[in-house]
Amino acid sequence: MNKMLAVLKREYLQAVRKKSFIIITLTMPVLMGALMFIPSILAVRGIGEKKIVIVDGTGRLEAAVTKPREAPPKKESDKGALEKEVSRTKARNQAMPRFTIEYVNAAGSDPKKVAEPQFARLDGRKVGDEKKVDGVLVIPGDVFENRDATMSYYSRSSTDVIAQERLGRTVNDEVQRTRLTSRGIAEAELETVLDRVDLDAVQLTSSGEEKTGGELNFLVGFLFAALLLIPSLVYGMEVMRGIVQEKTDRVVEVLISSLTPMQLLSGKILGLAAVGLTQLTVWILMGVIAAVATGGAAAAAGFNAFQFLRPEIGAYFAVFFILGYLLYVCFYAIAGAVCNSEKEAQQFVQPVMLVLMIPWFLMMPIIMNPESKLSVGLSLFPLFAPITMFVRVLVSEPPFWHVALSIVLSVGAIYGLFWLTAKIFRIGILSYGKRPTIPELWKWTKVA
Amino acid sequence: MDPILSIRGVRKSFGDVKAVNGISFDVRKGSITGLLGRNGAGKTTTIRMITGIFMPDEGSIEWRGSASSSFRDEVGYLPEERGLYRQMKVTEQLLFLAQIKGRSAGSVAARAETWLRRFELWDKRDAKVEELSKGNQQKVQLIGTLLHDPELLILDEPMSGLDPVNVKLVRDLLKQLRDEGRTILLSTHMMGEAEKMADDIVLVHGGEVVLSGSLDVVRASEGTNSIIVEYDGDGRFLETLPGVVRATIHNNSAELRLDRDADTQSILHAVVPRLKLSRFEVATPSLEEIFIGRVGVETLAAQTAAQGGVA
Repeated sequence: MNKMLAVLKREYLQAVRKKSFIIITLTMPVLMGALMFIPSILAVRGIGEKKIVIVDGTGRLEAAVTKPREAPPKKESDKGALEKEVSRTKARNQAMPRFTIEYVNAAGSDPKKVAEPQFARLDGRKVGDEKKVDGVLVIPGDVFENRDATMSYYSRSSTDVIAQERLGRTVNDEVQRTRLTSRGIAEAELETVLDRVDLDAVQLTSSGEEKTGGELNFLVGFLFAALLLIPSLVYGMEVMRGIVQEKTDRVVEVLISSLTPMQLLSGKILGLAAVGLTQLTVWILMGVIAAVATGGAAAAAGFNAFQFLRPEIGAYFAVFFILGYLLYVCFYAIAGAVCNSEKEAQQFVQPVMLVLMIPWFLMMPIIMNPESKLSVGLSLFPLFAPITMFVRVLVSEPPFWHVALSIVLSVGAIYGLFWLTAKIFRIGILSYGKRPTIPELWKWTKVA
Repeated sequence: MDPILSIRGVRKSFGDVKAVNGISFDVRKGSITGLLGRNGAGKTTTIRMITGIFMPDEGSIEWRGSASSSFRDEVGYLPEERGLYRQMKVTEQLLFLAQIKGRSAGSVAARAETWLRRFELWDKRDAKVEELSKGNQQKVQLIGTLLHDPELLILDEPMSGLDPVNVKLVRDLLKQLRDEGRTILLSTHMMGEAEKMADDIVLVHGGEVVLSGSLDVVRASEGTNSIIVEYDGDGRFLETLPGVVRATIHNNSAELRLDRDADTQSILHAVVPRLKLSRFEVATPSLEEIFIGRVGVETLAAQTAAQGGVA
């Protein structure tokens, strides 16, 4: 035990004292913050702005496209809903590119013909005094009458689906209104006719609680899966590098003659886990400080993540985090033990990691349907259990025996993996030669 | 004296390579035992079985008469492949090495200072290992081997890479430790080194013990049938002299192995006119001569050609 603690302490101090650790720990939250905020700042500053020419064959849509209609006011009585609606619309508008519209009235002529001279401007060539545009929307003259009429949006790339969707919606909205009024619906009744009914997702817990805002389940699910996965991968990699380092430093022979492989292995793994916890603690503290300093910006944005954070979630997170870390780190330790350079070890471990990350790639179906056979199966299969089960617990309420079985199976798998790793470790760590094949590895487990 | 360590018929194979093929020997308490042999003879594999790195395929290793493997904390091991954590500071490194031998850092701190001063490394106690010269790194590792005050020291080629001053320092140190009652198992392929220090020798070749026992006894049993000459001139004719079985010729010196009836007086007469002699000594053969005699020059040559395999 004391020997294991000596290894743990060494690993911890060596890692924590590194300049790179201090720098990453202190700058990562700033970087992450920057990554999250810079795009929205750019959007506000209009760097994401698009300039679009609209060639209107009807000549009647200028008002509709140049001055988009305000979101229709909701029923006055439901003030909460109104606020929610406004914040949602705001968020939607922010995520979208802004447009500068240049309107060309082509009533009475073929709008395509009128538009053609503008196409050169897509490349930035000047036509008269006009500069580069990002797209040209051509609205045929018969959109109000002809049900087969099609608008065309010309641009160098057809990938800007958001712009296309928004332009299409704006024009369609106006076309609908015009069609309705031409069929005798009074202008004043239009809003009532066109009013859409919203759908709220309500999560009903076993204790009868109702929670809305379920679309955020996606975000929260992904976020927590990433929180579970990424530190394991980062610190697993550190364990692997440490082992390879001990081989290249040739210090390993002294270690193995003084420690059992299990002492060495667990000391290393727990030492780096402590490093990870230190880092997480610093980040959480920084996060709390930032949140207090900015006056709870997240709450202001209407993002209420806390409704998903039942008190037991914290405990589950800790349990599945530890299980996941121990599981992954074994594979990294094996890779470190059987390979002679970091590069080689990474090649060795990559395919294994891809397999282990299957739940991450299937996160969408798991979150959308946490009680499906796929989700249940993955959450009970030891290698995939920690992530999958935690996400299930997070977004749904799986039966307790699922959770218990998942934990038991994971613990069993980790126990087996530790045994295997220690065996391979003992021989692999001294072999400086060629990398062993899988059958050779299996033989090692019997020899040592 | 009682053996503190007994190796009983251990074997170890790696695939088809029989690295150790039934080795047995005893290490007496308070002695320096030289484990001698060429590279690839099986010395390192034997040592790794003693230190618990490998399990023997067959045979047993007994510590104070019992076959338990729980004596690793009483062993200090200096592997042939030297290595320390390059990024660690000298003192931290030493304390860590003692801790993984089950000692507390506090209990060895004073000893660490003594050793560092003795090896003239005290000024460098806060330097990172990678900042030290190779010789200094080796001295640090030697201290790391000693710091937990082990009963048995196992040193694999401890002198390699040291300058003559440090070689003497280490040699004196090992003798002092022996005199204090510590037991030392010294593995080396340098016979001259072993000759200067060992009380007992174990000669291994091809994974087997070819000769073992007290150095004095071994040498006495070979008889006084060697001549050591030092000279100026071309000494190649020496091995053609009558009565000379074999001549090991170095630069300006040679050791001649004689057959039983050889007449040393007539050899002296034959040499005097052809070489300017500075030494002519009838002596017991050197360890190197004994070794070559046992192993045979041909097998040595063949083995050198087929170098490789497991060291």
